[in-house]
Amino acid sequence: MAGLAEILGADRLSEEHDTPVVTPRDQAEVAELLTAATRDGLALTIRGGGTKRNWRAAPARCDAILSTAALAGIVDHQPGDMTLVVRGGTPLVDAQAAVTGAAGHRQRLMLEPVGGPAATLGGILSTRAAGPLRHRYGTPRDIVIGARYVTGDGLAAKTGGTVVKNVAGYDVAKLLIGAHGSLGVITEIAVKLHPVPDVERMLVLRSTDSAAVARFVLALSTAPVTPTLVEVHWPDGVVAVRIASTAAGADAQIALLRGLAPLDEVDAAAGEALLANQLALPFAGTGSVFGVGVRPTDLAPLLDAVALVGGTFAGRAALVAGDVLLPDEDPDRSSRLIAAVRGLGGTVQARRGADAHRLAAAAHAPGIAELEAAMREQLDPAGVLA
Amino acid sequence: MAVAATTPVLEIAALARDIVGPDWVITDGAQLRVYECDGLKNQREIPGAVILPGSTDQVAAVVRLCHERGVPFVARGAGSGLSGGAMPTAAGVVIGLSRLRQVLDLDVPNQRVRVQPGVTNLHVSEVAAPHGLYYAPDPSSQQVCTIGGNIAENAGGAHCLKYGFTTNHVLAATVVLSDGRVVEFGGEAPDAPGLDLLGVLIGSEGTIAVVTEALLNLLPRPQHVETLVAMFPSSETAGAAVSAIIAEGIVPAAVEMMDRLAIDAAKTQTPITWDTEAALIVELDGPLIEVQSQFEAVTAICERCGADAVRVAATPEERMEIWRARKSAFAAVGALAPAYLVQDGVIPRTRLPEVLNAIRDLADANGVRVANVFHAGDGNLHPLVLYDNKVEGEQDRAERVAIRIVELCVEFGGSITGEHGVGVEKVCSMPKMFSGDDLTAFARVRAAFDPDGLCNPDKLLPTPRLCGEVPGFHHTHAVEAAGLGERM
Ligand SMILES: Cc1cc2nc3c(=O)[nH]c(=O)nc-3n(C[C@H](O)[C@H](O)[C@H](O)COP(=O)(O)OP(=O)(O)OC[C@H]3O[C@@H](n4cnc5c(N)ncnc54)[C@H](O)[C@@H]3O)c2cc1C
Repeated sequence: MAGLAEILGADRLSEEHDTPVVTPRDQAEVAELLTAATRDGLALTIRGGGTKRNWRAAPARCDAILSTAALAGIVDHQPGDMTLVVRGGTPLVDAQAAVTGAAGHRQRLMLEPVGGPAATLGGILSTRAAGPLRHRYGTPRDIVIGARYVTGDGLAAKTGGTVVKNVAGYDVAKLLIGAHGSLGVITEIAVKLHPVPDVERMLVLRSTDSAAVARFVLALSTAPVTPTLVEVHWPDGVVAVRIASTAAGADAQIALLRGLAPLDEVDAAAGEALLANQLALPFAGTGSVFGVGVRPTDLAPLLDAVALVGGTFAGRAALVAGDVLLPDEDPDRSSRLIAAVRGLGGTVQARRGADAHRLAAAAHAPGIAELEAAMREQLDPAGVLA
Repeated sequence: MAVAATTPVLEIAALARDIVGPDWVITDGAQLRVYECDGLKNQREIPGAVILPGSTDQVAAVVRLCHERGVPFVARGAGSGLSGGAMPTAAGVVIGLSRLRQVLDLDVPNQRVRVQPGVTNLHVSEVAAPHGLYYAPDPSSQQVCTIGGNIAENAGGAHCLKYGFTTNHVLAATVVLSDGRVVEFGGEAPDAPGLDLLGVLIGSEGTIAVVTEALLNLLPRPQHVETLVAMFPSSETAGAAVSAIIAEGIVPAAVEMMDRLAIDAAKTQTPITWDTEAALIVELDGPLIEVQSQFEAVTAICERCGADAVRVAATPEERMEIWRARKSAFAAVGALAPAYLVQDGVIPRTRLPEVLNAIRDLADANGVRVANVFHAGDGNLHPLVLYDNKVEGEQDRAERVAIRIVELCVEFGGSITGEHGVGVEKVCSMPKMFSGDDLTAFARVRAAFDPDGLCNPDKLLPTPRLCGEVPGFHHTHAVEAAGLGERM
């Protein structure tokens, strides 16, 4: 690893369980590192806050960890344009504080710190992590408007821009989002911001009848309501809907929702606690965790399948996407869950647990594996980030 | 079939007759001319052949013929593109998707529809309408433009301010790759594992694959809509009102602006009586009570910002009239001058007044007129540069002004295109916005999909032939660039 130390200076190189950790300070240093790693045939693993490192299968080899800790900070906030540019290693909570702290403006970055306060924006993008707000505002792919990045072989590049509308060039940001750091290092991120709604009201309901919950959610999907989130926690059967609107608008929508739901209403205060739980579920307990997604009409069968294998689901009820926590790491149990979700035509991503990645490894649609390999060949030809 | 064809493209045409049927292959000069350009009329090229397949398999078979012979091809929807994206290559094949216009599956409970690429944008909403659903992206050309073209350009529209662009509304696409392989990107369920290839496809301007099916997300029709036109004494005051509305935390469905010249143009086509320097169209939609209270706030903001008059559409017909005026403005400008160029650039919304002033100065200095009609809410400008093509040198000056305008957009921190795409029109402006390394990375992404460069070549990325050398921009393959291999 002498080569890496030479590039950045010894003070940028530390060691962790015998694995060197390099901490570049800017895009140029990242480019130098990756150029050297490509030349020397090294395998690097990118680390942001380290909160979701299990979300990707452990790399076959890791000669050094590339930490984004020194790639942090706000580059630019334009409240009038509702745009924000931050460096890739910036913790989401810090970015959020910069936005909400801007005097005279009521706006927010509508991403959630999946993984907790250490979670960096770069890590959230790379894992395509999203929480309840996804219902209204989408995932990182809908919020990111541009990025600077370094390819596996050290090309320092930019995609998109800092304006909310722009179709110049390929949308490479979409590729980097969800790539788990396998195509490049994200060094800077531009996002759009959203206004903080006038008022928010929560309606929390309870039912252990999956069909009834599904009927409510489907009815809501065509009703004149504009929720920011529609969450379900299962099998305890808690459903939370948050309406954001004007004061009068929110009251009217809540009333309408009550009319849709023959479900029991519970204290709305329980809602906020539930939301914190929803975000924390993939990190709670000790069992295996999988991210799952199915079509809107498959909510009830998904909930039933999760209950059948003894799991807990926390997720977006209308979309449908969320996380399943299993009580243990039993591969048989994991397999039964995966088979059930796939049986519904759904998607599964391993988050945690023994063998989780192997069990969830997707049989890619024909041709896709070749395209992914071609993309890696183009952006990381030496497999530095593989 | 044994064919004594003289060129690879004629050989393809001859073989394609067996694949798509003899009526769907065009090699006749006069008929080919129909396909020589898209909405960007000042760039033309006669293709070698036009082939109109009737299924995904037929598209794949035609693409394979091209691939085997190294002949370039370009997909074409309605040809309404404004950047020359569908312009043919001289010895190449045009693959027209106009026969693929079936709605394959409308899934009402899941609020989605699977369509073929030749279905028009508006038709998707028409099919969904009886079920209270619609397709949100609404380009002004929606009566003619196709879903395939929309996906290729990541088309936007007036209502994208609130609802997002094409990229936010496509769930999956079946595509034919440049070697004829058929693959599916995305899927029915969220969070398809692996790389977001669908995300790169959208906005790739037909350069990475031919879309032959798409799964589109539909939205429930909003319960209530309110629309107003506010008359402002200047573009600056109208621009300030836009910022004030947004700062209030209101997200209108649409915020559009027209200046006096654009209004004059619209008057030749629609019965509007607006008499003002700048008209601001604001539309709110959503649940009734929310819309009503926010609409009051918007009206008050417009008045506070100096609007001389605020006219509220009292009936659906009045609302339609406002939108007809807005959507007709492009074409109507043709009534004010013998010729015009449509420009498309983006700036940060807050810089609107400065940029509009700069555009005016630029127009004055060059002796041309510029009409402005644009998506003010997201800073997407559409300056229309008017000129007389019979006056010696005026077209050149108009083109210079048009190019200078997008360069201004970049200088103000914006983009050279917000929705019309780079195409051929702006390839040489790409280096204004992107460095050589940025462009190299784009070229590599393209090469992953189309290593032989057959899929709509010479678009989107600058080539030395078109633009001269771009410093630092290399078309080399990554493996060569990394010194890991050499091409023999
Ligand atoms: C009056 C007018 C108003 C307009 N208003 C808007 C507007 O408000 N917003 C906006 O975004 N655009 C607008 N446009 C531009 C244009 O309509 C859009 O770019 C539209 O998406 C093009 O669709 P098309 O079917 O005409 O595509 P074409 O012009 O035929 O092709 C455009 C590009 O798409 C590619 N392509 C077409 N079909 C496929 C396919 N099946 N697979 C792969 N690639 C394909 C072509 O190769 C080409 O690169 C306007 C144009 C006009 C003339």
